[in-house]
Amino acid sequence: MTSSVGAVLKKYRWQFSGMVAWTLQRVTGILLLLYLLLHVHTISKLSQGPAAFDAAIATFSSPFFKCLEIGLLGVVVLHAFNGIRITLVDLGIGVGKQRQLFWTITVGMGLLVFLAGAIPILLFAVLKVR
Amino acid sequence: MTVLDALIRVQREMDGSIGFRCSCRVGMCGTCAVQVNRIPRLMCSTLVKTLDAEVVTVEPLPHYPVIKDVAVSLAPFFAQWRRAQAAFRPKHADAPTLAIIGKDSRFRQLAATKRDCITCGACYAACSITGMNVRYLGPAAINKALLRVLDPRDAARADRLKTLDQSSDGVWRCHTQFNCTAVCPRKIDLTDSIVRVKRALLRPGKALTV
Repeated sequence: MTSSVGAVLKKYRWQFSGMVAWTLQRVTGILLLLYLLLHVHTISKLSQGPAAFDAAIATFSSPFFKCLEIGLLGVVVLHAFNGIRITLVDLGIGVGKQRQLFWTITVGMGLLVFLAGAIPILLFAVLKVR
Repeated sequence: MTVLDALIRVQREMDGSIGFRCSCRVGMCGTCAVQVNRIPRLMCSTLVKTLDAEVVTVEPLPHYPVIKDVAVSLAPFFAQWRRAQAAFRPKHADAPTLAIIGKDSRFRQLAATKRDCITCGACYAACSITGMNVRYLGPAAINKALLRVLDPRDAARADRLKTLDQSSDGVWRCHTQFNCTAVCPRKIDLTDSIVRVKRALLRPGKALTV
């Protein structure tokens, strides 16, 4: 299985990026849904008063959750930029250049935005650099 | 040596019972499409050395009933081909002169990139939607219907658009995964055709042009 996947990628030089992008969109969509549930759960603590809410938020300021936050940022960015790619395709823009669209928008621009957010979180929230 | 050459050699020298189909051997008839190392392609146009693999696996195309070994029945493919009304239906069957499509017309220019389908069925095999929904038209039938719909001489535009617009098995089932485009041996941008049909259906007031 692994060798055939490798052969596919080698031979087609990522011509199947459309399928990769589609799968990424599904996986990140489900992850975002799970995050949304957690988010609603945390916000609902507000109904139990400021102390309960502060306690919930305190949990999320630990370095472990900050690392997860970097992951969340990655998921959001992938989903958002791939969404832009899909919208462009549906508008008939760049359909013939779908691979370039995937690499420049979903991967390229996504990576830039991800790093712009992930590096500060890592430095100031996880490693606590001053 | 192509994969087809290799298979013929296997048939002649090792096992005369293996079943596969081929005809033209030059990539123009679309008879020998199979899965080679998990990708749908024409055996006669696939050189073994370009596969860059120790083992070459030849399998029947997925999403089709297998007749024998790697020979499949393209019946599901042609059922959709008929449903999309692939045959041309002229507006003026009794016209005394031939209708002329100018070589500079936009229809003619788009058609040049879309009309080379050899009905090999590779796109239908690569599409993940056809694998889940046997009623889905599939890329080749939609591409053919687009050619007919845009043709100024065609009389069945409304019928075809109705079939294309069906929510459960028309163009809307396409998830723009581009697998069809990636495997087409004639390099037809099938996903582009599907996107064009979708956009045409969303703007019914607009004249159907390229």
